[in-house]
Amino acid sequence: MPSNKVQSIKEELKEKIMQSEDAVFKELHTKEKYIEALYIKTISDETVIQDYVVKPFFEIATAETFLAYLQSHPKVKPFESEEQTLEELIRGVAVLFYQDFIFIFDSKVDRNNSVLDTTVETTIQGPQSGLSESLPTNLGLIRHRYPETTLNVESTTIGEISKTKVMILHDEKLVDQDVLRRVKEFLDEVDIQMFQTGEQLLDLIKKSNRALFPVMLVTERPDRVAVNLAAGKVVLLVSGSSFAVILPTVMKDFMASMEDIYQTYWVSIFLQVLRYVGFVTSLILPGLYVAVTSYNPELFRFQLALSIAGSRSAVPYPSFVEVVIMLFMMELLTEASIRLPKAIGPTATTVGGLILGQAATEAGLVSNIMIIIVSAVAISNFVVPINAFSFSVRIVKYIILALATCFGLVGVVLGFFMFLAYMVKLDSFGQPFLTLVQTKSTKE
Amino acid sequence: MKTLVKWRLIVISLSAVLLLNGCGFKDIDKRLFVVSIGIDKARNSTKKYLVSLKFAIPGGKNKANDFFIVTEKADSMAEAVRAIKTKVDKEIDFSHAKVFVFSEEMVKLTDNAGVYYWLARRRDIQEIAWVAIGTPTAMDVLKVKPKSEQLPSNALFLSLGKDGSETPYIISEFYFDMKKRLIERGLDPFLPIIEAKKDLLEVNTVGLFNKSKLILNLSQEETKILNHIMNRENKSALWVKTGNIKFIVNTTKIKTKYKIITLKGKQPFIKVSVKVNGTIEETTAKITNEKLSRYEKAAEKRLKKQIKGVLVKIQKANVDPIGFGLRYRSRHFNNNDWEEWQRIYPHLVFKVDTKVKISDTGLIE
Repeated sequence: MPSNKVQSIKEELKEKIMQSEDAVFKELHTKEKYIEALYIKTISDETVIQDYVVKPFFEIATAETFLAYLQSHPKVKPFESEEQTLEELIRGVAVLFYQDFIFIFDSKVDRNNSVLDTTVETTIQGPQSGLSESLPTNLGLIRHRYPETTLNVESTTIGEISKTKVMILHDEKLVDQDVLRRVKEFLDEVDIQMFQTGEQLLDLIKKSNRALFPVMLVTERPDRVAVNLAAGKVVLLVSGSSFAVILPTVMKDFMASMEDIYQTYWVSIFLQVLRYVGFVTSLILPGLYVAVTSYNPELFRFQLALSIAGSRSAVPYPSFVEVVIMLFMMELLTEASIRLPKAIGPTATTVGGLILGQAATEAGLVSNIMIIIVSAVAISNFVVPINAFSFSVRIVKYIILALATCFGLVGVVLGFFMFLAYMVKLDSFGQPFLTLVQTKSTKE
Repeated sequence: MKTLVKWRLIVISLSAVLLLNGCGFKDIDKRLFVVSIGIDKARNSTKKYLVSLKFAIPGGKNKANDFFIVTEKADSMAEAVRAIKTKVDKEIDFSHAKVFVFSEEMVKLTDNAGVYYWLARRRDIQEIAWVAIGTPTAMDVLKVKPKSEQLPSNALFLSLGKDGSETPYIISEFYFDMKKRLIERGLDPFLPIIEAKKDLLEVNTVGLFNKSKLILNLSQEETKILNHIMNRENKSALWVKTGNIKFIVNTTKIKTKYKIITLKGKQPFIKVSVKVNGTIEETTAKITNEKLSRYEKAAEKRLKKQIKGVLVKIQKANVDPIGFGLRYRSRHFNNNDWEEWQRIYPHLVFKVDTKVKISDTGLIE
């Protein structure tokens, strides 16, 4: 490259970057040779520059040998274009000007590469470590768990400002090409300024079709990612996020915990049944309470009917108001305990759950049975292993409650059928939401 | 614009739906639960019946087993209930009314169909309720408050149902079954008789109906035998006396089969075979395992006599609680099968065959 052109590029880059305080322009001299380096010190690893550029520069005597050293170094790339260089510069590379050459030296610092413990999807047995916040580390973790040559990695960027790097992983042999195409189309359509983490996609896809339920699974577990890759799913890794997105996901995946494959057969069957029972309980119990106490008390055993009537006798409001009050309190409590710092979280739940519940019954605002119902609903809601899904379920129970208030038991049945019909309609990237057995791609 | 109109429509129709909730919505604490219904013949009155409803008062742990009874004289159930409604503050709910007690005087009246079918016509009355005859009056039965009772009328529910005591002296009767027996030709209703004592309820006899009218009261032992014939209860006891030894067989299984045999030119008869398994529970003299067959024979003889006695007694009264007539009609496809049966039944002969198996003496020798 002619030296005047090198000079002009250098000046232009310097002009664009030097306003910021953390930009560094360094000149190194020996008798035979002269090198200039331009980088941003906050996102570049200066020890890497020191080890691979500065030290060899003073150790290697002749100018030709040093040029050969630079050209053969794996971290060094030749200059391509000015825009591309600028782009790389703000991501942490160093630009080296040596003789009439411009080199791009990869000195990006990777600050968040520590592997985190799982905090959201905890299991008793099985791997305990989750993903990290660094994209290369995550990819490494997954490749480590999924050593297949057919594992295909593509990358794209999302976000107008954030330009976040997103990697699309799939097993070439197992993936459904139609699903892959839909996923890519979806990613192309994403219109967002700041893209920070995969969970945002849940919201973005919702805006496009207003889905009540999530149709992709966000996980922090590399073992879940590996298992899903083997099932022919597409995995998205987002730079800077310790969560991976798995698509397409259906109800079965939301109700599965990684623990299921780490337990013996009957235990995991039992746990699955338990989860589905809990799921249905949290859905219909509030509605069922209203329907049975206010429309069809003959459904209770006589003893229970009398004790409910007795405990309700001091309550001034109709049953549905009672249920709504208590459910609202419970939602507040759940919400508050998420936001609160870990140190005072238990206090809040104790004060809220025990004292408030006790006081509410003493004051005659709600009946004893209601406290049991609300606690049962809250607990059974947490049985659903994937949080995004259990949040959705929290909403559906109000719809069923409203229908039960208006139509009694028929309303509960109607609400449940509507819920079922909605799930039948729903699909995740072409996969029906209620798919029980996921078929592998027929194209081998 | 179009979507806005659509949304407006949805919101309006939904809020209209919300206004509809008045019709069936009544909170459980605004209802008064009727636990049992008593119907007597009204005395010193122009009205026909005296209807008593026993209401449970819901309460906490401290106020358990509280109830009150409201009565009304009326010519029909509907009238009585409407009148009682004006005497109580909450909505009367019949959904937990599980026992209907009729007095003996009342079931001896002939035109009670209105009352019997009122129970079926009310949509909130469950037909799995028990029906019984109360003595001295139905009202007295409702008033009894047994010491062991935790909830109003629970003692009745437990003794009539299988949840509580199991005894061959109670032949309980569900309302739906009674309703069937009221109209079925060849199958007559029966009701257990509940006797109100001071602090106890005694249920050990049964009254047999000729359709809607009480005809015959069986004694306690006869009730037990009828129970055996109808295969209702396995846990029972046989009292046997042979020579000067008296022993009692505790039964574990009783199975009765019968067959109506009508041969041309011969007298029709019913072959009843009873199989009993059991052990010896009490005896006045030593019984050894070797001699068990002798005692089995004695028990068979005794049981045979008892069963035959009950069957003949029922036949003499011309009632049919066991359903011989229905069995006959189900096996004969003539147009006049019912008339034929009515002709045959008074002259039927019962051939009873009993087989008692005493598995052990109850002791280790």
